[in-house]
Amino acid sequence: MIRAEGLGIRFHQGRKRNLRLRELVFYGTSRDPYRGDFWPFRDVSFDIRPGEAVGIVGRNGTGKSTLLRLIAGVLIPDEGSVRIGGKVAPLLELSAGFSGDLTGRENVHLVGSLHGMSAADLRRRFDRIVDFAGEQVRRSIDSPVRHYSSGMRVRLGFSVIAQLEHPILLVDEVMAVGDAEFRAKCYDTMEELLAQGRTMVLVSHEESDLTRFCTRGLFLHEGQLAVDGSMAEAIRAYKEVTTSS
Amino acid sequence: MLSVLVRRDLAVKYQQSVLGYLWSLIEPLTMALIYWFIFGLLFDTQIPGGGSYPMFIISGIFAWAWFNSAINESTSALTSQSLLVTTINMPREMFPLGKVLGRFAEYVAGLPILIGAAVVFDAQITWRTLVALPLAVILQFALLAGISLLLSAATVMLRDVERFVRLFVRILFYAAPIIYPLSKVYESQTLPEWAKRLYVADPLVGIFQLHHAAWFPDEFPSLRLLAFTVAGTLIVLTAGVLLFRRLEPSVLKEL
Repeated sequence: MIRAEGLGIRFHQGRKRNLRLRELVFYGTSRDPYRGDFWPFRDVSFDIRPGEAVGIVGRNGTGKSTLLRLIAGVLIPDEGSVRIGGKVAPLLELSAGFSGDLTGRENVHLVGSLHGMSAADLRRRFDRIVDFAGEQVRRSIDSPVRHYSSGMRVRLGFSVIAQLEHPILLVDEVMAVGDAEFRAKCYDTMEELLAQGRTMVLVSHEESDLTRFCTRGLFLHEGQLAVDGSMAEAIRAYKEVTTSS
Repeated sequence: MLSVLVRRDLAVKYQQSVLGYLWSLIEPLTMALIYWFIFGLLFDTQIPGGGSYPMFIISGIFAWAWFNSAINESTSALTSQSLLVTTINMPREMFPLGKVLGRFAEYVAGLPILIGAAVVFDAQITWRTLVALPLAVILQFALLAGISLLLSAATVMLRDVERFVRLFVRILFYAAPIIYPLSKVYESQTLPEWAKRLYVADPLVGIFQLHHAAWFPDEFPSLRLLAFTVAGTLIVLTAGVLLFRRLEPSVLKEL
């Protein structure tokens, strides 16, 4: 379903100058092209089968979210490749891509249709989406999203993404923001989606969330995929690293 | 997907203004009025083949309004919509192209005014109208697509581009026969020959001659000028597509 081969990405450290004009025109003429570069990870390979739920753990800055973005196709790798066997429903960085100046309603339509929901689909599911997001969101569905609290934004975002029928679900640290009631709803939905046979990749720091859903764990450490095994194994390795330092 | 983006773009643009899309007509018409006052009334500009100077300005200024706003907005197309670009996997080209298309919709909204003006100023509506106008629109579309791809990606890497573009676009305005007839340039005694050649290399010259030719048959560009224009447009379009592809990985990291 998701196959990563030799995956690596490079970021530039220090953004004093992002681009030299001649780099625009010529290839690799920069005297020292690798100075100040930083690879969050390199040579990462894995193969996720349909229906699997995979949790990614690692310390801050080890590239968990970056990996999710590569899978979602909103970053392009510098090395290797990711192949995806179906459409992806991504919930990245606590936002489904909402624009602050549009109302909740407009955002639901925009993001829904950009993810491939038809107008009929949207009409049919709109009430369900708003219901799921909760009473607070329903009351302000016609006011701009920039007035929403971060909790409300995440709820609406999760509601839209959860209504997509795409086979792959990517979730990045969503549960951390919602309140207890919303968490419970999220858990139910994710269990439901998994029961339908969807594939899920989850990034979280919450051990309970990870063990609850994920059967397989990936542990990113020091620029490598250190563990690819059961969720328990990945968490154990992660804990060893965090307690020893 | 493209239509979703364009519709959203128009909705956002006009949601908080009372006059709404009328602004896309008021602005070029006001500019036309200013240029008519200076170059028509004060300097008494004449169109070589006869015909009304106000109509000449209007036929150029609406197309220019499209060009100008499309360039300015597509420059920030990726930076201003970074939240969408970084969460939804779709062809990134759609963001700048959507801006070009959105501003084209405004141009289309102004077409009735253009045709109305042609009737009022007694312009010559001939078969050339039906040839020149679509040809001008197609070429302008291709040119804008190239420029918008180039600029939208370049801005992400180098924010100075945005300021530079605003200045450069102003130069382009006076460097193309929009408010003055092309013959003024050809007939100029003080302009050296190489400058004239450079002038004609700008694809906007041919495109705006086509916009004028729709109502002023004498302005119809020569085959040589047309060839220059098509070649120039294709070069810019290719450069835009290639550069966008080349910068795309870095652009996504920077957003």
